[in-house]
Amino acid sequence: MTQAPSSASAVKPIIEVRGLGKNFVLKRSVFSRPLVQIRAVDNVTLSLMPGETLAIVGESGCGKSTLGRLLMRLIKPSTGEVFIDGQNVTNISHAEMRQQRRHVQLIFQDPYASLNPRMTIAQTIAEPLMLHNIVPAGQRAKRVAELLEMVGLRPEQANRYPHEFSGGQRQRVVIARALAPEPKAIICDEAVSALDVSIQAQILNLLKDLQNRLGLAFVFISHDLGVVKHIADRVAVMYLGKVVEIGASDEIFSAPRHPYTRALLSAIPVAAPPSHQRSRAARLHGDLPSPLSPPQGCRLHTRCPHARPECKTVSMKLDVEASGHANACAFWRDLPAQDGTEGVREPRNPKLEKLFVAFEAMAARSAQTVKGG
Amino acid sequence: MSTSQNILHAPSARSVRADDAVPSVLDVSNLRVVFEGDTRTVTAVDGVSFSVKKGRTLAIVGESGSGKSVTSLALMRLLPEHTARVSGNVNFDGRQLLTEPTSTMRSLRGNRLAMIFQEPMTSLNPSYTVGEQIKEVILRHRQMSKKEAAERTIAMLRLVRIPSPETRYHQYPHNLSGGMRQRVMIAMALACDPELLIADEPTTALDVTIQAQVLELMRELQQKTGTAIVLITHDLGVVAESCDDVIVMYAGQVVEQCSVEELFTFPQHPYTVGLLGSLPRLDEKRERLAAITGTVPDMANPPAGCRFQARCPFRINKCAEMPALMEVSQSHFSRCWRAPMEDLVP
Ligand SMILES: Nc1ncnc2c1ncn2[C@@H]1O[C@H](COP(=O)(O)OP(=O)(O)OP(=O)(O)O)[C@@H](O)[C@H]1O
Ligand SMILES: Nc1ncnc2c1ncn2[C@@H]1O[C@H](COP(=O)(O)OP(=O)(O)OP(=O)(O)O)[C@@H](O)[C@H]1O
Ligand code: SF4
Ligand SMILES: [Mg+2]
Ligand SMILES: [Mg+2]
Repeated sequence: MTQAPSSASAVKPIIEVRGLGKNFVLKRSVFSRPLVQIRAVDNVTLSLMPGETLAIVGESGCGKSTLGRLLMRLIKPSTGEVFIDGQNVTNISHAEMRQQRRHVQLIFQDPYASLNPRMTIAQTIAEPLMLHNIVPAGQRAKRVAELLEMVGLRPEQANRYPHEFSGGQRQRVVIARALAPEPKAIICDEAVSALDVSIQAQILNLLKDLQNRLGLAFVFISHDLGVVKHIADRVAVMYLGKVVEIGASDEIFSAPRHPYTRALLSAIPVAAPPSHQRSRAARLHGDLPSPLSPPQGCRLHTRCPHARPECKTVSMKLDVEASGHANACAFWRDLPAQDGTEGVREPRNPKLEKLFVAFEAMAARSAQTVKGG
Repeated sequence: MSTSQNILHAPSARSVRADDAVPSVLDVSNLRVVFEGDTRTVTAVDGVSFSVKKGRTLAIVGESGSGKSVTSLALMRLLPEHTARVSGNVNFDGRQLLTEPTSTMRSLRGNRLAMIFQEPMTSLNPSYTVGEQIKEVILRHRQMSKKEAAERTIAMLRLVRIPSPETRYHQYPHNLSGGMRQRVMIAMALACDPELLIADEPTTALDVTIQAQVLELMRELQQKTGTAIVLITHDLGVVAESCDDVIVMYAGQVVEQCSVEELFTFPQHPYTVGLLGSLPRLDEKRERLAAITGTVPDMANPPAGCRFQARCPFRINKCAEMPALMEVSQSHFSRCWRAPMEDLVP
């Protein structure tokens, strides 16, 4: 609906979902009828192409992780369909799904919870190699060492247990494990959020390299819009279980359509001296409404600075432009213009820029002498 | 050796002198943490000193694995005693935390000293509802009826912007999203108006709008109650927006210490320069980010001399000796032979 992926070209999406929804029952009656339900994901249609990075952003609790789990059919949707590699996997069995899962890997939001405390790092990373019989037993140790180096860990750390690692180190172990079975797509749920920026940069560069080399596709769930801007080709913005805007990353950042996207961009903290901070006026105020009883009409109307009376009753149907860019604000064409980059221009200190340049130039030079010598 | 030790202590002493009017709540000096393994001994924290003043926020930033979490766990006395050897001095409001009896520590923690952990799932009990867990903390430290504690719990959940707090009260941690769990942790830590709050990556799982709200909330509470905050984060945007002072850690040591304004205006340590340089920019798109190449040294046998030397583009022969943390300009300290960095740019 938002993009017509397959018809024109021969390239087929790796993952495609149509009308996807997921309800969680919070309370049941004595006859186990659902009394209180959450629509964590509501009528989402999108596709992921080979070699593409699709980012999913939105407020905490809006359904990003749930959507991520649905995309790889880790959980069963309440409504809609999931296709992986062209195959409808909405209703397939657990065993069949396990085979598929080699092709779509998930990096969980909580790295500690997804590592087995009684397995060494080497065992953890070797597990998928063994499970899918990818690398002959004799060469597994070497492959594990390579994977560790890829994510910036030292191979001699292989025989240690998760509790001996820092938060960021554990996160890199999880990334190495996801890369091990050579998947076609990886769903990264806040995969780099726990990393400091220099390692984050290393990992992001690594992911990009792998993508260029192997045509890997990524679904990148993140609240860090700086990272999203750097890595994503397309961005989907979610609010209370619904996709409110989806389109090319450059467009989203330079000309956001939906008021929610605009508010999100204006809330980004900028790494600049306190004396140079942007004004906080444009930020979204008020509380996220309860997903247990989302507002009628446009779900943003309780917090939207541009809300008008009709917003309480309009539908949130996506308005698709010719470019494929789509957004769910019924009145977006009437909104006051906002220059997206205006909101996120970062102040520069010219002397500091010179220092950055000196740092990079010297680093490049010493890298060369190392290679040459 | 002894001179470098003295200089090492200088920053906290000096910054206290700088504005005497504000008393410091926490004074850490020469903190060391050594993990004794069967085969290897790792010095995770190596002579760290800093202080935090009432009503102020100190940021700790630094490379992953540089000892930020271990520093905070050490001063809360939460490291396993059989493997971690902790030395140095930690003064909290006149008490020496490293030598207090365990029972005293237990009554201080969660009450006057609160901590938000890096991984919420490891510190929330999966078999109790989140409401019960917060209520439990309040009942342990405050004279309150169960009903009052439950009400305060709901008020705290509302304060950290959890929608429908009355319903969420009765849910288990696994029913909540990652960001909600993190906010539950924050509510629990703030429930007893602590004098010192140590927050280890409290907002990493939060999106920017809620992050901004939670940080503003912490600020508000701070203004009301004068809580001193130590905020461990790798998000430099958060540091810029909500902290006053900052220490930068690398391989178990403090390598730079200054005000937040100074850090972003002109950093004085090459690691910090690399760190700021590798930030993805919002207003430009680069194919590759400028990452600091190489990896952190093995802390079981760190190199002699500057610990950043193997990765440092500015290194010179002198870097084979360990630089001390030296004052480069008024209250701006750097552990680098090449500081001030002004000399390195044309
Ligand atoms: N229980 C332990 N036993 C042995 N080594 C440990 C233990 N806990 C931590 N370490 C080591 O101590 C060092 C510091 O870890 P710490 O968790 O403080 O890092 P950090 O700065 O918080 O990093 P991150 O940003 O990744 O959370 C790391 O090298 C880690 O491997
Ligand atoms: N197993 C579950 N049982 C009940 N409710 C659930 C379950 N998993 C998720 N939810 C609910 O679904 C909604 C969406 O949660 P989800 O984890 O997808 O959010 P998210 O967008 O990933 O948030 P965050 O940024 O905080 O990680 C939340 O209201 C959450 O409480
Ligand atoms: S002391 Fe030398 S190696 Fe260390 S940071 Fe300074 S210039 Fe680089
Ligand atoms: Mg999530
Ligand atoms: Mg840590």
